[in-house]
This record gives sequence, structure tokens and C-alpha cells, in this order.
Amino acid sequence: MGIERNSPFSPPRVTPGGFALPGTSRTNHTGSWRQERPLYETSPSPCHGACPAHEEIPVYLDHLAMDRPRQAWESLVAANPLPAVTGRVCPHPCESSCHRGSFDEAISIHSVERFLGDMALREGWSYPGFDGEQREEAVAVVGAGPAGLSCAYHLRRFGYRVTLFDALPEAGGTCRVIPDYRLPGEILSREVERVLAVGIDFRPGMKLGRDLSLAELEEGFKAVFLAPGRQKNRGYSVDHALPGDLHHGLDLLWELRNIGTLPRWERAIVVGGGNTAIDLARSLLRTGTREVHVVTDEELPGAPSQAGRGVMPAISREVGMALEEGVRIHPGRRIGRLILRDERVVGVELVHALKEFEGQTPVHRAFVGTETVLEADAVIPAVGQEVDSAGIERLLQNRTMLPVLPTGQVEGESRIFAGGDACPGGGIVSHAVGSGHHGARMIDALLRKKELSPKTPPSPIPYSSLNRVYFEQRPAYVPLEVSPEARDGFSEIETTGSFAVLRQEADRCFSCGHCLECDNCWTLCPDGAVLKTGGRSDLPFPYIFDYDYCKGCGLCAQECPSGHIRMVPES
Amino acid sequence: MTSSDSPSPSLDWSTLRNSQPRFSGMESGHGACQGCGQALATRLVLEAAGPDVIVANATGCLEIFTTPWPQSAWTVPWIHSLFENAAAVAAGIEVALRAQGRTTKVLAFAGDGGTFDIGFQALSGMLERNHEVLFVCFDNEAYMNTGIQRSGSTPHGAWTNTSPAGKVRQGKRHFKKDLLAIIAAHGIPYAATASVAYPSDLRNKVRRALDVSGPSFLLLHSPCPLGWGHDSALTISVDRLAVETGLFPVLEMERGHVVTTMKIRNPRPVREYAEPQFRFRHLLQDTPEAREELEHLQALADANIERYGLLATEPGPRDTEGADTVRRGGSRWG
Repeated sequence: MGIERNSPFSPPRVTPGGFALPGTSRTNHTGSWRQERPLYETSPSPCHGACPAHEEIPVYLDHLAMDRPRQAWESLVAANPLPAVTGRVCPHPCESSCHRGSFDEAISIHSVERFLGDMALREGWSYPGFDGEQREEAVAVVGAGPAGLSCAYHLRRFGYRVTLFDALPEAGGTCRVIPDYRLPGEILSREVERVLAVGIDFRPGMKLGRDLSLAELEEGFKAVFLAPGRQKNRGYSVDHALPGDLHHGLDLLWELRNIGTLPRWERAIVVGGGNTAIDLARSLLRTGTREVHVVTDEELPGAPSQAGRGVMPAISREVGMALEEGVRIHPGRRIGRLILRDERVVGVELVHALKEFEGQTPVHRAFVGTETVLEADAVIPAVGQEVDSAGIERLLQNRTMLPVLPTGQVEGESRIFAGGDACPGGGIVSHAVGSGHHGARMIDALLRKKELSPKTPPSPIPYSSLNRVYFEQRPAYVPLEVSPEARDGFSEIETTGSFAVLRQEADRCFSCGHCLECDNCWTLCPDGAVLKTGGRSDLPFPYIFDYDYCKGCGLCAQECPSGHIRMVPES
Repeated sequence: MTSSDSPSPSLDWSTLRNSQPRFSGMESGHGACQGCGQALATRLVLEAAGPDVIVANATGCLEIFTTPWPQSAWTVPWIHSLFENAAAVAAGIEVALRAQGRTTKVLAFAGDGGTFDIGFQALSGMLERNHEVLFVCFDNEAYMNTGIQRSGSTPHGAWTNTSPAGKVRQGKRHFKKDLLAIIAAHGIPYAATASVAYPSDLRNKVRRALDVSGPSFLLLHSPCPLGWGHDSALTISVDRLAVETGLFPVLEMERGHVVTTMKIRNPRPVREYAEPQFRFRHLLQDTPEAREELEHLQALADANIERYGLLATEPGPRDTEGADTVRRGGSRWG
């Protein structure tokens, strides 16, 4: 046995069986040992689940972190066409749900959203996704607030012809009354105009019940989306007494928007605990009213509270800023009596009160014997608005809101859909945007004669599925705010951060349930069974498992920082 | 939800595999157990060393699982001779290459058996004769290939088939041999320890070792899921704990002097390290003997921390929690 003497002129002669030209171990498919296989699987992140506008937050944060701001914005507007608006006014439930909040501090998602929204306006980016097939069917959308705009926008993306009606001369809906220090009118106008420019036939000054009827809409359109909002002031009186010069809160905010100023009082009392009350109180201070009080039987947001107690529905941060600016809030009080002289208010009697919920029903209680007097020259109710029933009496039938099914259809109707503040559960802009998007999807399904199946969102990936050892604690970006002393009239309080800092902020994202492209799986697989796909467009992820060699040890799933790998039993 | 269960049928796997942006010195299809720390460690060492190397391999798991006749997982020249002589073989290759004026690097691979015990005198000779070889010891702390027998590297208190836990003894009676001190005594230019749980650190050390002229030594802690008795998915987590408890200090020595250590940001109790491992499970029993032995193990870890000054005074990018922070796009893996 053995190799005979090597000669430079001939290859070595080999005894059969004593020597083998090496074969590669790659012919040995060790994947057959496997009992469990790893899968790359995208799971919903908690922020996505919490976002009323259904934004794919980890996706756009990833784009921004990887220096692709335009793709980030395009991913964002695939759900929400108004990011510069929502980035400013949304109370961002996404941030409360952020898993990073359990680790150090939640990502400042709204700051990123706002930054991307502003960057798009500055750069003049136009919406992607409008080059698909155009469809013949025409759809009517009533109400050009965020719900109607969102529905019209998404219907246009799907290729439908869309006519958008609004009673007012301008689109924007209730967003128009948000004061400039929270949302500059110019930002709103520019985003709204960009939406209208996607080929929406906008008909302003057309009020349902006055200029057009439901029957006409049903006749002329294949489907109707109603987003009339809540425009009618809820009735207000104190034991049937009212001052002669009563102003409603929302009307004053419209006055401010249209005329640019408000009446001046010495001491105004705003009644109510919602955003209208807080916006108005802060606007009054800015327009020269000396002292502004807010009276509500609800509790301050964030205050230690008993279960079942009503809490002010205004955005907590805005309430905080109102207090900073000098608005005096009287929680747990209500007005027991108006003190009138010649139909003019000279003061009110405040009584201790509380609001409780018995199930879903609010119960208001006031306690006699606790009265105090507060002098005032104006009492302004901001106690909420109702749906204006004009033109939709048939759908409302004595109810205060439009009853909608999970499919977005109005109860008992097949071609009439509804969304926004006119439906139960609304109240914030991003919710309106989400309900418009949902309505558009369901209308698309109806017109394509598909089943209307509302997606029930799968539950978000739990915190325990993340491998946190791969993350370092880093403080969150804190948006710069003008201090209460330096706040100047109606100029904006929060500022938009720079690209550099927001890119860093986006990079803090855990990418829960999404691939971070961190290379952990590729680096740590003992069997070399993870391959990089090198950006091939026909493969869904940056990596792929080569099951010929994967032995199913589970190491990749264990060490994946973002929970993007799941082990499943081998069939 | 998107999932990867159905890969593109048109995918040319071979082309994809051959175009990966890294050097593959040890190919897939080797027969290591699931979650093998040594298989991972070898791949990482070769990735850092590059293709211009010759490997001399001692007898052991690595030799067995990479070369079932007639296949080989190696894409670099590789030779196996005996259990005890990897260092001697490597030394011979090195002088031959030097005589030919070639710059190919020589690596010697051995397990802890082939380093601490059986191959020890050949290693010592190689270091003493100043051969320019990087000797890598894959330390899984027992003779795993032959069926889990204790070695000079097996830690105190660990169960093996030849150091059973019972009424008289709580696992191995003797201590893990302080090989590092012996290596230090040779005064070689570079010696280091590393763990598979910290691949960036590991690869940097391989490059540094290959940059020095003269002998270098790398003690590479690599868990054995079979011999340690832990879940195959936990190889990295368990070895991270080996470092974070202080039981396996990660450091670098030049000429026998410790020049850097990987600081421990938050020392972890040895109980956490013991819990997932069968070889330490007897120490978790509720008996006075088990409690005492676990305390003993904790004292050994604490002594390491003290001896090498492993405690971090402030968080740092190269400490046990900063060293492998993820970066989007994978840029941290040096």
C-alpha cells in the first residue's frame, strides 16, 4: 500500500482503497438530523398593533436608520398620508406600547413621523403607488377631514374614481381648529393639498342634507363612505339657565381659525375636559384673556386615580402644557349654578363632583354643601360635539353616532360605509386616518366582489421573545420645546429634530418581530446553514436557511435579538 | 405575515453559498453535534485567519467530525497525525515553509485533552523552540469525543463519566489546570483567551496572534452541548455566562504579562451558569454538600475576578455587555 515514488513527470500512482481524492462534506446533507426547523417570520410589533392608523413603524424606522429617508416616508404614507399632521397631534399610543420602554425608554416615534412628514414637504416628494390599474367604479366620500381624506387617498391608490364632498370651503375637517402652536395651518394645508392632488374630485361647500342627499349618492356612486365627524355642539345649560351671549368652545376655535383672534375677557371659565376645552383655554390666554379656568368633573390625566373614575380625555401632554402656561384647571368640580345679572355672567358656583363609569355608562355626581363661588365674565361650554343628523337620519335612527360593523359598513347597509369621529371609538386624528384606510379596503373588497373580511390583528410579539443582551441602553431623543416663558403667541412649541439625531433615534428601535440584519444568525450558525441573500428581490429576507445542512439546534432563534426566527416541529 | 417556509424553487443554492461574503475554511455537512461550540469556533477562527493557512489537527472531535472518509469539510490544507503531536507536526510544517521562503501561516488545532494533557509536552517544546505557529485550544473542558471523561481542564465540581457526582464527591475533585500561567511562563509574544459567545473579540485575537512573529496561543472556550448537558440552542448563552461569572476570564497576554481583560459589567452568580448544565446539576440540590460545593465554585469565580481585575468600573464598549451590541446591517462583526 502507498504512493510510489513521486516523479515530476507523472502523477502519483495510488493503490485503490488506500487513498481517496477528498470529496467535500457538502455532499453530506446533515439537515436530515433535524427535528425542528427554524423559520424567518415577521411578527407584528406592539407599536404597529397600537397605532390606530396601522403604520408599519419598525419598517420605516429601519429605513431611516439605514439612511433611506425617502423609503421610510414612502412606507409611512402607505398607511397614513398625513404624517406631518399626526406626528404633531397624535397622542402616540405606539410609544406607550413600545417594548424599548421596558428596557430603557420608548422610541420617540412621533418625532420620527413628524420629521419624515416635514422632510417630504420640504423636498416636495409625491406619494408612491398611484401608477397601478385605473378602475371605472366611482366612490363618494362625504367629509374631508382626516377620515375622509384617508379613505379617498387609499381608494385612489386602489385605482377608483373618487368624489370627495365637504360642507366647508376647505378640506381638513376638525384638524382645522387645532391651534397653530400645536399644528400650524400651513402644514395642514400642504399635506391636505397633496392628498387632494392624487386625482380626487373635491367638491367643497356641499353639505349632506342641504346640497346633496344620501339617495343621490347611492344613485350616482357604487359605494359611499361617510365621515361627517361631529359638528353639532352638544346642548348645554345649567338648570336651564344660560348667559345671553353664550359661545360654544368649538365655535370659538373656528372663529380663531377664520378671523385670527378671540374675544377678550377678564376671567373666562371653560367647561369640559377634552381637547377642545384645553385648546381653547390656551388660545384664550394667547389672545389676551387675563385668566382662564377649566372646570371638569373628571380627573387630571396621570393623577393617581380610582378605578372607574372618569379622566380628562384631553391629551395628557397638552394638559401638562396648559398648566405650565397658567391655565387653572379645576378637576373634580362642576358648575352648580350660573350667577347672572341681566343675562350676563358674573360668576359661577363650583361644587365638588365626580364622574364614574358604571360599565360603559358615565354617571355624574355632585355634592351639595361644597359650593364655592368663582367670579367670571364668561362661561364657555366645550362639552363635546354630536353627529349632525342632517341627511343621515335614516342611518342614525335616534342614535347619537353612526353604528358601524367590523366591515366598516353602516348597520343594515351594504354599500354605505362610515368612519372617523361620527362612529363610536374615535376621537383622535390617527384613528380617523385608520378608519378611512379600513373603509377603503372594505369598499375595494365589495367592488371586487370579494368577501369583506376585516383583519383581526394577530397579537404582537411579547417582550420575552426578544434577546435583549444584544442591546445597549441609550437615552431616547427628547424633542426640543419652547419653554412656557418663551412661548410667543401661536408659534409652534415643539420643534422638528434634525436628520442626524432622528436617524439615531430610529436606530434605537428593537425591530420587534422584524429582521435587523444584524448578522447574528449568519455569524453564529455552527453548521454554516444560514446564507446571506445579497438583496435578491425574489427572496423575502436578507438571510435564508439552507435546510440541507441545518441540524435544527435552535441557536439562531435563541440569539436573534428581535424575535424574527421561530422554531417549528419538522413534519 | 411573511415567513420563509417556502424558498424560491429556482434558487441556485450552490452559487449562493459560494458567493457568501466571507471565507469558509470549514464547510457545511460536517458531522458535529447540534449546537457544537467547537464547530462554530473553528469556522470563526478560519474566517479570521483567511485561506493562506495550513492546519495541523490533533485527534479529537474536530478531526473526527470534519473528515469522515472519503469526505472533508476543510478547504485549507489540513493534516491529522496523532493525539499528542499537533504542536510538533505544526512546528515541522513551519520550519519547512520557512526553508522554502513561504509566508503561509501555520495553525495547530487541539482540544483541551490534546493541549492540557496529552499534547502538552509537544506544545511546550513548540513554544520553547519559538516556532511561528498559532496553537488554538478548543476548550470544552473534558474528553468529549471518547465519551465525556475528565481532563486537566475540567472545572472543579463538574460531573464527567470519570468524575461522577455521588455521596463522596460532588463531581471533579481537582481544579482546572492553570494552563495560562504555564503558557505565560514560556514568555511567548502573544497568548489570549476568548469565548465563542464573543465572536468579534475572538476574531480580533486570531488576527493579532497571526500578526506577531513567533509562537502564539489561543485558549478558546467552546461549549459542548452533549458533554455539558445543555440545550443545543444555549451554546452562546451558556458561554456568555462562563465569562460573566468570572469562571472563564477573557484576556490577552504579551510575553506573559496580562495586557487586556474583558471587563465584566454585571457579574452573574455561578448558579445561573450551573442551572442549564447537567454537569453541574448536582450542585443545585438542597444538601449541605451541594451548597458548599456551589459556594466553592462561586469563590473560584470571585478569585478569578480579583486576580485579573475583571470588574468594570463603568460600562464600556468592550466589556461583557458592550462587546457584541447589535448594529443594523451587521457592521459590528469585525
